[in-house]
Amino acid sequence: MSTCTEVFIVYKILERKEIAMRNVWFKVHAPHVVKMLQPGQFVIVRAFENGERIPLTPVMWDKEEGWIGLIVFTRGKTTMQMNTELKEGDYFLNIAGPLGNPAPMRKYGKILAIGLYTGIVEVFPIAKAWQEIGNKVHTLQVTFEPMIILKDELEKAVSKHTAVGVPIDSEKSFPENMKNVTARAREVVRAMIKELKPDLVFMVGPVGDQKAIFKVVKEFNVPMLVDLHPIMVDGTGMCGACRVTVGGKVRFACVDGPTFNAYEVDFDELIKRSGYYRDLEMRAMQEYMQKLQGGAQ
Amino acid sequence: MMTKRKLIKNRVPTPERPAYERIKSFEEVNLGYDFDLALMEAERCLQCPEDYAPCIKGCPVNINIPGFLAKLKEHRDNPYLAVKEALRIIWACNSLPAITGRVCPQEDQCEGVCVMGKIGDAINIGKLERFIADYAREKGIDDELLMEIIPKIENKEQKIAVVGAGPAGLTCAAELAKMGYNVTVFEALHYPGGVLVYGIPEFRLPKEIVKKELKKLELLGVEIKTDHIVGRTVTIPELIEEYDAVFISTGAGTPKLPEVPGINLNGIYSANEFLTRVNLMKAYKFPEYDTPIKVGKKTIVIGAGNTAMDAARTALRLGSEVTIAYRRGEEDMTARIEEIEHAKEEGVKFMFFVNPIEFIGDEEGNVKAVKFMKMKPLDEKDSRGKRKIVPTGETITVEADTVVIAIGQVPNKIIWKTTPGLKVAENGTIVVDEKLMTSIPGVFAGGDAIRGEATVILAMGDGRKAAKAIHEYLQLRDKFISPNEKS
Ligand SMILES: Cc1cc2nc3c(=O)[nH]c(=O)nc-3n(C[C@H](O)[C@H](O)[C@H](O)COP(=O)(O)OP(=O)(O)OC[C@H]3O[C@@H](n4cnc5c(N)ncnc54)[C@H](O)[C@@H]3O)c2cc1C
Ligand SMILES: Cc1cc2nc3c(=O)[nH]c(=O)nc-3n(C[C@H](O)[C@H](O)[C@H](O)COP(=O)(O)OP(=O)(O)OC[C@H]3O[C@@H](n4cnc5c(N)ncnc54)[C@H](O)[C@@H]3O)c2cc1C
Ligand code: SF4
Ligand code: FES
Repeated sequence: MSTCTEVFIVYKILERKEIAMRNVWFKVHAPHVVKMLQPGQFVIVRAFENGERIPLTPVMWDKEEGWIGLIVFTRGKTTMQMNTELKEGDYFLNIAGPLGNPAPMRKYGKILAIGLYTGIVEVFPIAKAWQEIGNKVHTLQVTFEPMIILKDELEKAVSKHTAVGVPIDSEKSFPENMKNVTARAREVVRAMIKELKPDLVFMVGPVGDQKAIFKVVKEFNVPMLVDLHPIMVDGTGMCGACRVTVGGKVRFACVDGPTFNAYEVDFDELIKRSGYYRDLEMRAMQEYMQKLQGGAQ
Repeated sequence: MMTKRKLIKNRVPTPERPAYERIKSFEEVNLGYDFDLALMEAERCLQCPEDYAPCIKGCPVNINIPGFLAKLKEHRDNPYLAVKEALRIIWACNSLPAITGRVCPQEDQCEGVCVMGKIGDAINIGKLERFIADYAREKGIDDELLMEIIPKIENKEQKIAVVGAGPAGLTCAAELAKMGYNVTVFEALHYPGGVLVYGIPEFRLPKEIVKKELKKLELLGVEIKTDHIVGRTVTIPELIEEYDAVFISTGAGTPKLPEVPGINLNGIYSANEFLTRVNLMKAYKFPEYDTPIKVGKKTIVIGAGNTAMDAARTALRLGSEVTIAYRRGEEDMTARIEEIEHAKEEGVKFMFFVNPIEFIGDEEGNVKAVKFMKMKPLDEKDSRGKRKIVPTGETITVEADTVVIAIGQVPNKIIWKTTPGLKVAENGTIVVDEKLMTSIPGVFAGGDAIRGEATVILAMGDGRKAAKAIHEYLQLRDKFISPNEKS
């Protein structure tokens, strides 16, 4: 398959580092992507010959040197394989982008920008840019304690950054633990809105949490934007896998978004759509784990 | 000189994989002619004179059909030479015969007007064209022909950008490269080919064939940049700065979806998503390939064009019972006849005069049924010459756990949203003049991007025509503008 694809761009991994539990940083050569890249945009990555195309967000980049930085959270088969197998000096097969619309760059005033788990990756470039054009940005990451990332970088980039690490209770299942993160995030956000009185709240994270946080924000009637993460295939508007209902209309998140007004999003529908392949995803993950274990013996 | 001989009314049949076998596999259905069978079929041709032959006029790119059939007969003792000479004639008008031989709606084109069709069966031109291309590929005859051309190419200075690597773009690139231009193709996806690779399934068009065509482009020195979404990665205005001319062939890739309740339920796919997952991403081999697809027990495909047939026959191969639901009647179906016949043989069922008005889901948000409005035809015809249809008021609800929507596609909006001054029609197609030039000088367009959903052969024809027009445009430009004024 690769006669025509390999020759011209090589997506070499210049740096690879595990920066926190299940979070791996990849610095990748991708000069064509950075030329027009703006905060809020994403890329579609294919890492393996039999692999799927998945969306990821450049967290930082250098236009002159032609690289982008990605932070990949180990979620299912593909992200686990990327984080396990790809080493410095290896190559991604494809990186297409930038995709999606840039985040709206306006002076809102005081902004509270929230990232749950690795959602902070998408928050980072947008928050930084908002701060640079004169907004007063307060960022917040809520995640498990060993998964805190980008703390120093955010502290430098915005007015104030808060990282909240929830301890992992090893007695409890992972989904139970995640509920603690959601509960904690709701508390912290409520307190921060009271204290900060933001003009805008922005949030990225699992869609269930987006819904939960939106409920809190809505109580205070503060405008809220969210970046939506439906399942994507091409990322260019040709398949409609990424369709979401916003303001009662069908929109394609990859070309109409990914940023939408939280007050108009049908979160329940997106929660259901995001879970459609769960059984197959579990199967792929299990088979991959078995392969890894087999290989280790 | 005409020798007297008996007319053979019936076609020499092409072998096909039996239906019970093929619904379990993605291998090609029609197995094609071998040389002897091809020769027998070619013998049936009456050899109408070139200036009269209706098939030549019926072909959108005017291939000299009696001409290439005559070569088979002329060199009957030397199949290699026969095919080489026939291919030379085809190539004068069509550089992708292995593909068009398989996907052209021949019954509406060359075969539809064939004189033999009035007496018996029309000559099986599509299968003969395919045979010549396949035989040539297997024996390396096409490479040999190409190698005759390549050394004669005189390299030119000018650079041309082609946007989109479907049949229109690939043809334009090849033609320009043969004239000596430096061509770069920009493609959004990770693999070139357009609908030929992500849409049309393996059992109808083996991907090996497209791969071979890409190899030829490589030999011609065409550079293909995948992962480049023009409008996002680089814009048309930037390409205009850097290149001497631009050809836009981005197709009609955005699926139309009915605006009815429940359209976002799980299990409802656009045909593009469904076919892309299966063809481009190989979801039928999950978990060996990572991209998943879910096909339930009962699939309803909405629409009746080639896309709908492909989706239906794909769902069938993934183990589902399949019904095609079409708002018009049987005789209004727009797919190629061969595809409709194959679908029927394989066990696809059909419902006519039904239009979806609601998708009904379960608690988990998965589709479980489709509610249709029953339609009825009027005597009056619409602008496309089809009988008008109206709702009867009566509805019918049919169970389904997978639905594929194949009701048409429109051009993607990324290009025109990012190209100031590019004139587009209301339906999103790019407006061009008779030389395929857009409202921006030096920027040309063709294929589905200017026609909306059309055909491979028309896309290919546009690619050729544009290559010629670009060549003329550059010659004229360089005659009147001195080099230092150019940029
Ligand atoms: C615009 C956008 C930006 C993103 N940025 C980042 C990022 O910077 N870092 C990061 O770690 N993750 C990011 N993600 C999420 C990332 O794409 C998913 O975690 C990844 O696709 C999961 O694949 P998997 O095989 O590991 O997991 P799977 O087990 O296949 O899936 C786990 C879950 O991930 C989601 N998912 C699966 N496949 C896709 C897909 N093709 N497209 C979108 N979601 C999918 C589904 O909700 C699924 O239930 C982003 C997603 C989007 C839409
Ligand atoms: C399922 C299906 C079955 C069909 N069956 C038949 C058949 O049997 N016979 C027949 O004659 N026709 C058939 N057609 C129609 C035929 O495939 C099209 O008319 C033809 O492919 C159009 O060619 P094109 O080059 O204009 O566009 P396409 O083949 O659509 O190619 C366009 C290319 O441009 C790329 N692109 C889009 N936007 C951008 C961008 N912004 N930047 C860079 N690249 C971009 C796309 O990824 C794609 O690769 C079928 C269509 C479908 C969908
Ligand atoms: S290109 Fe299509 S229409 Fe023309 S001769 Fe071949 S099969 Fe017939
Ligand atoms: S991901 Fe295919 S249309 Fe958005």
